[in-house]
Amino acid sequence: MSKPNDLLQGTLDLLLLKILALEPLHGWAVSLRLKSISGDVLQVTDGSLYPALHKLEQEGWITAEWKQTENNRRAKFYSLTRIGKKQLQTETANWQRLSTAISNVVQLSET
Amino acid sequence: MRIEHWWFTAPLRLKSILRGRRAERELDEELQFHLDHKIEEGIAGGLSPREARDAALRAMDGLEQRKEEMRDMRRIHWLTDFVDDASYAIRNLRRTAGLTAFVVMTLAVGIGLSAAVFSMLDGLVFRPYPVPRPGRVVTLVGTSRDTSFDDFSYREYLDIRRGTKSYDGVIASGAVQGVGISVEPGATPRVKAGLLVSGNYFRVLGVEPQLGRGFRDDEDEAAGRDAVVVLGPEFWRHEFASDPSVVGRIVRLNGTDFTVIGVAPDTFSGMEIFLRPDVYMPLSMARVFSTRPQKNFFEDRDDRELTVVARLKAGTTIQQARSELAVLAQGFERDDPKLNRDRGAAVLTQFEMRTRADAGEWKFIVIFAVLALAVLLVACTNVAGLLLSRAQTRTREIAIRLAIGAGRFRLIRMLLTESLVLASVAGVTAIAVAYGAISFFQTLAIPAELPFTVPFQLDRRVLLVNLSLSVLSAIACGLAPALQSTRADLVNGLKSADADAAAATGRKRLWGRNLLVVAQVSMSLLLLTASFLMMRGFQGVVGSAGFAKDHLLISRFDPRLVQYDRAQTQQFYKLLVEAARAMPGVQSAGLTQNPPLALSGFGRLAFVPDGFQLPRDRENFTVMMDSVDEGFFATMGLTILRGRGVQASDTAEAPRVAVVNEQFARHYWPNADAVGQHIRLDSRTGAPVEVIGVAQTVTYRQTFEKPTDFVYLPLAQHPVARMALLLKSKGDPHQLIEPLKDVVRSLDANLPISETRTYEDVYRYSAVEGPGVGIRLVATMGVVGLVLAVSGLYGLVAYNASRRTREIGIRIAIGAGPSDVLRLVMGKGLVLVGTGTAIGLVMGLALERLMNAMLFDAGGVDIVAYLVIVPSLLLATLLATYLPARRASRIAPTQALRYE
Repeated sequence: MSKPNDLLQGTLDLLLLKILALEPLHGWAVSLRLKSISGDVLQVTDGSLYPALHKLEQEGWITAEWKQTENNRRAKFYSLTRIGKKQLQTETANWQRLSTAISNVVQLSET
Repeated sequence: MRIEHWWFTAPLRLKSILRGRRAERELDEELQFHLDHKIEEGIAGGLSPREARDAALRAMDGLEQRKEEMRDMRRIHWLTDFVDDASYAIRNLRRTAGLTAFVVMTLAVGIGLSAAVFSMLDGLVFRPYPVPRPGRVVTLVGTSRDTSFDDFSYREYLDIRRGTKSYDGVIASGAVQGVGISVEPGATPRVKAGLLVSGNYFRVLGVEPQLGRGFRDDEDEAAGRDAVVVLGPEFWRHEFASDPSVVGRIVRLNGTDFTVIGVAPDTFSGMEIFLRPDVYMPLSMARVFSTRPQKNFFEDRDDRELTVVARLKAGTTIQQARSELAVLAQGFERDDPKLNRDRGAAVLTQFEMRTRADAGEWKFIVIFAVLALAVLLVACTNVAGLLLSRAQTRTREIAIRLAIGAGRFRLIRMLLTESLVLASVAGVTAIAVAYGAISFFQTLAIPAELPFTVPFQLDRRVLLVNLSLSVLSAIACGLAPALQSTRADLVNGLKSADADAAAATGRKRLWGRNLLVVAQVSMSLLLLTASFLMMRGFQGVVGSAGFAKDHLLISRFDPRLVQYDRAQTQQFYKLLVEAARAMPGVQSAGLTQNPPLALSGFGRLAFVPDGFQLPRDRENFTVMMDSVDEGFFATMGLTILRGRGVQASDTAEAPRVAVVNEQFARHYWPNADAVGQHIRLDSRTGAPVEVIGVAQTVTYRQTFEKPTDFVYLPLAQHPVARMALLLKSKGDPHQLIEPLKDVVRSLDANLPISETRTYEDVYRYSAVEGPGVGIRLVATMGVVGLVLAVSGLYGLVAYNASRRTREIGIRIAIGAGPSDVLRLVMGKGLVLVGTGTAIGLVMGLALERLMNAMLFDAGGVDIVAYLVIVPSLLLATLLATYLPARRASRIAPTQALRYE
């Protein structure tokens, strides 16, 4: 299903999976985490974050659960499922293959 | 999509469909939670609450679009759309309940009849053998000048088995007409159906016994050594109450003790369509069951009684098997030219075997199937016409939908969903129709004590066909209206509720519907012709058997079941007939091997007629024959046209004589009197037999058969063990049954009497009920077809008239009389009817030729049929156009002009 050439479009998926692999988070927390990890390099608008999360949920890679936050509000927490973990592995592998290949190409000396 | 992926996501999708409202609430809550934090963050960063809120919403770039995006994600569009369309369709259809009910009934009858006929077709032709990988099982047959479907002898079977390499195994089986079985020692034997099989039979077919074991390969090697028997499942259930300890028990078959070694599984009902064996015995025990004492089963190469079946090896084609067997058959002819002159061999698939030219039933069913499909077609065109009319009154709705941006494809899908809903309701109703029809077929009671089975049932395969026909008819009757109505011209469509009013497109549209009417009328004429011809064909033979059927009792005997030898058998029949003639109430008594039309096969006699030029490459001819005693012709009521019948003086020692039927006499001695001529048995040098009489030609196997040659031989000169006693009674033949049993008991208390019943009962099945089912079936289809066509025509004319109400009103207002209006409204309809009738007539004539070729051979054209059918069809259609036209002609102009 995940063909290697889907990889660039799937980058956001990979990031989200990775972030949720560390710990279950709600959408707001994910947006904060995204910003803090990548600085301003990876711009993910709030508008595209939620559709992406819902897509991962519909794919069955992450699952959602309503829980209390520290300041006692109900929030939807996402966590990785078993096949989500597998998907993260494949996507990570794909990403590494592709980035190695690209950096090899980029580093070719132009003589 | 990978399956496992669906495994995970399907519940999620399902959840979102089932709990749509909750998902919606959760979506709102989740986004609100995010916005709240974002706003807090903005305020903390120094914005006003309002600015913070705006900024938060901006970051979402379009909250509502995003929400819709997420909703889309969790939906399965085609499914939710389908559910929507279906519920819309159901609402719509309920609004026009009358029309819906009519359409459903129409389709249900068409689909149900087709499914029921398919059950017949399946039972007789398509249903695979009840064994694993049935497609690899082929039947080997011998071919000769007289038959293309001959059996093989035991010796030939062994040679085939040794000499072929194309098969995983070659098996042989021979049906035993009647086996006398006593389950308890000393009990009176009962007559059951048996099958002699080769030792590898169950193994090669891949049939595992449900109890005990099947035969071992070596169990058919030594003649008479292995007296073992495998029971059929039904026999085991009925005679042994499914007793699992039956293995090892002794049962007595034809007086010989056999050990039960196993029980065949319930799934295996035998390889024949009609006959289910009760017991299976190894071929090596053939002598116990032999019906041809003059032949040596194990040695005579021309004692051909075995059906040979084989399982093709994987990778071997049937062509390879065919050429291999052909070579082998040439070898047979070379080795023994006398026995095998012009004999070949062929390998047939199950389909070829089931549709063999010498079996009659399947041909009827094929005709039934064609007729049933014609009914379905008429039903579909009818429904298509109705939907088309409806779609046109919905033009405005569709135009609006198109105008506000619905895709054409989406609309077609919506309309098709509607016809699919219709067709599924019809399909479910059709199951009831099919069930009724199949139950009707199953009522065919076969008057035989052997377990004949009626192979028609409402099984999974029939239901599947029912389902596919429903879907197909949904598409067939829904697609054209859907395509046409979505091609709507928006401007005109929005202006008027009725697109036909837009003359430009109207003409084209009406053309399509005119075609439907023409098709309906011609199909209905075709159906009527077919059913009429078949009814006449059947009726022409019912009741024309040519002999008296009343006051006759039949009872069958087989003294071999109690081990009588030939002399004892002859003595028994002599005493039996003497005692029977002495019974009070008996007018006469006679013996025959097989009375005409009594559902058993006839023996064949090989002969050469004296003075007849035999083709150079032929040894002899063969003809159906019967062994009869001196009482037969009088008792059966068969007329001797010339010469005399069989007499008591035609004993074994007297000169050999024969009675032939008229057809035979005309066939071989067209210009001379057959009486006094001679035929020779087997070959030119065989024993001479003098023809002493010519009997009337009757039908022998089936009432609709063509006139056939037939020869009667005196029983004394041609002794047979299994005979039928015929008693002509003075009063009710039933009253002879008990006295007859007493007579038999006094002769031998152990001898089983089988199939004691009146000849009328037997005849009713073979000649009345069987054809009766056919007659009623085709009559039903003819009537249904006519009703459908007439109602379709009525609907069309009525619709056209109502559409032109306004125009008619104007015409009347400016002076048109009722007759002008009648002409206006009916004219078009009658042109269509005329065209349809002409086409139908041409098709009917073609069909008649086909039916004559296949079934009845009535010769020529049945003018009467057309003289009855065409006027009645015209009358019915005339009425169908007249009624709406008359209504139209009485329109009051004031009312008509106010219309709309």
